[in-house]
Amino acid sequence: MSARTIWPGIAIVIAFVVGGILTFAFGNDPITAYRALLSGSFGDVYSIASTLVVTLPLAITGIAVAFSFRSGLFNISAGGQYWLGGIAAAWVGYAVKLPAVLHIPLAMLAAVAAGALWGAVIPGLAKAYRGAHEVITTLMMTYIATDFGHYLLEGGPMQAPGYTPQSPPMQPSAIIATLVPGTQLTWAILLVPVIAVLAWFVLQRTSLGFSLRLAGYNLRAARYAGVNPVAAVLTALAISGGLAGFAGSIQVLGVDRRLFDGFDPSYGYTAIVVALLARNGPFGVLLAAILFGALDTGASQMQIVANVPFNLAGVIQGIIIFFIAAEGLLRYFRRRRSAPAAEPRAAAAE
Amino acid sequence: MKRIVMVFALAAVVMGMASAAFALKVGLVTDTGGLNDRSFNQMAYQGLQQAEKQLGVDISVVQSKAQGDYVPNLTRFAQQKYDLVIAVGFLMHDAVEQVSKEFPDTKFLLIDSEVTDRANVTNALFSEQQAGYLVGALAGMIEADSSVNLPGLKHNDTIGVVGGMQIPPVDRYIAGYYQGAKAQDPAINIILGYTGNFDDPASGKSLAQAQHSKGADIIFQVAGGTGLGVIQAAKDGGYYAIGVDVDQAYLAPAHVLTSAEKRVDVAVFDTIKNVKNGDFKAGTQIFDLQNDGVGVGAILDGVPASMKAKIEQIMADIKSGKIQVSDKIPQ
Repeated sequence: MSARTIWPGIAIVIAFVVGGILTFAFGNDPITAYRALLSGSFGDVYSIASTLVVTLPLAITGIAVAFSFRSGLFNISAGGQYWLGGIAAAWVGYAVKLPAVLHIPLAMLAAVAAGALWGAVIPGLAKAYRGAHEVITTLMMTYIATDFGHYLLEGGPMQAPGYTPQSPPMQPSAIIATLVPGTQLTWAILLVPVIAVLAWFVLQRTSLGFSLRLAGYNLRAARYAGVNPVAAVLTALAISGGLAGFAGSIQVLGVDRRLFDGFDPSYGYTAIVVALLARNGPFGVLLAAILFGALDTGASQMQIVANVPFNLAGVIQGIIIFFIAAEGLLRYFRRRRSAPAAEPRAAAAE
Repeated sequence: MKRIVMVFALAAVVMGMASAAFALKVGLVTDTGGLNDRSFNQMAYQGLQQAEKQLGVDISVVQSKAQGDYVPNLTRFAQQKYDLVIAVGFLMHDAVEQVSKEFPDTKFLLIDSEVTDRANVTNALFSEQQAGYLVGALAGMIEADSSVNLPGLKHNDTIGVVGGMQIPPVDRYIAGYYQGAKAQDPAINIILGYTGNFDDPASGKSLAQAQHSKGADIIFQVAGGTGLGVIQAAKDGGYYAIGVDVDQAYLAPAHVLTSAEKRVDVAVFDTIKNVKNGDFKAGTQIFDLQNDGVGVGAILDGVPASMKAKIEQIMADIKSGKIQVSDKIPQ
């Protein structure tokens, strides 16, 4: 085990220790709090299912972000693509009449297409032809997507009759069946490992993945090697955006069964952390997403049992992020002190 | 070490006592505004704490971060055999409808909306229009009477109102505000806007600033956590805000004209008391001026005593039915 793979684990441990000290400082018992966190996230079938319900969108958006990072692109708009996917899936889900065998796949397909186009068209073309940095463009696209979603639901064309800002309910044929009765966990959870394997396979075992990674390492070298940089950028952003859109469809068709105004608790940004914690590996993303899902779900039990404010879970997440970032700093200083590092950084290419 | 042992010992004692006494367990789920919205959710929490102190019930709170959290949060309490689960807010209507069906043995209190077709849900509705009428009347009087000397007030017959989401409880407040203001100052011009959320003070602040730039120097906020931005804007810009749900004068003592109160705490406390006494009633209870369910907070010092007396009179007239306040915003 190198320091590189072990560091995220250390960061998590430090975060929990600091979180525990803070809990104690605020007058609560950290052991009770953490026991509640654990029992609330893994203590029984319902809790495990609740954790996985949050893990699901985080894992898929996390893979989406990791995929773009691996391709040397900072797609930080998973949240926007997630919204667009949710909007597309919701519309197909309530407005179109089809048998279930076709309805669910069509709604998912619409979500993937919407997310892919949202990710690839404007940020992709702007990057490929004008060199506009995708951090700026994808960030702006996120704002447009979320505000577009709010517009549609707050008195706009997708609002259901009544006052609540939400879409009409999905038709029964568009609802993904529940896996564990009495919970919100659907069969879609089984797709997560499949997607992780596929993402890994495409990146590591196909010539497409090779050219994307090559373009990520060094665009000029990639061009020299015969990779079309425009195609590489567009493909990477389309795949990343499509995955994030897909996550939105699963939330709408499986969990919420409507499009809610408050449908996205900023999964798009958490997904970036998930990807960073996992060092952009598709399988690490699954573990990181389970961790964040558990923190999120266990936080409510922590409130119930230990009276710990739910923000503490946010604090722990924040500390994890801090130490993950701190490792980057450490490496930077080490590199300055010793000889130039040999290790290329995928995300820092160009 | 000693301290930890103490904590454990204490926890054991407390838990032992709780289980020995079979204390009533009451859980509260906030909407996305959160506990620190300084209004609606916080009031509900106050009622809950009061019940803990005075009735000796076990209480617990879960804050919702997203709309999708409502169902899991309500479910979690129901599964853990809580006796009463309180859902704070109109936006939880659908979630309560769903979860109360799955857990028929758990009692639910839904605030600001109605689920009426079952025996385990009680609903609390408020006559917000009455409180809105009173604060609107005060704003109208002040705008119309140029002898009232409040720094920064221009008496240009223009007032504003910042709503959160456009949902019935918000619009009932606004409806009353319109009627009260027009009754006192027929020439008044009211600027209405919604931010579309309850948890974003920045959007409340910018909407208030926009209304102020169009001449509004008294702005009523009906926007929960978002409304804190309206009060901040009034404080920064040297004009006046009217608080909502709870007396918000303490947030900006020189710039909060008054507050339209809605005693969510009373509804919460009374319902818990009923459950404890075995008097739980399904259906809807209305909270209005008559039973102190709504009211007016402290009025700013610079307002003449004659106006304060007039507000008292209007309050009496609403109670006696002499003044009827509609819950629809006049066109």
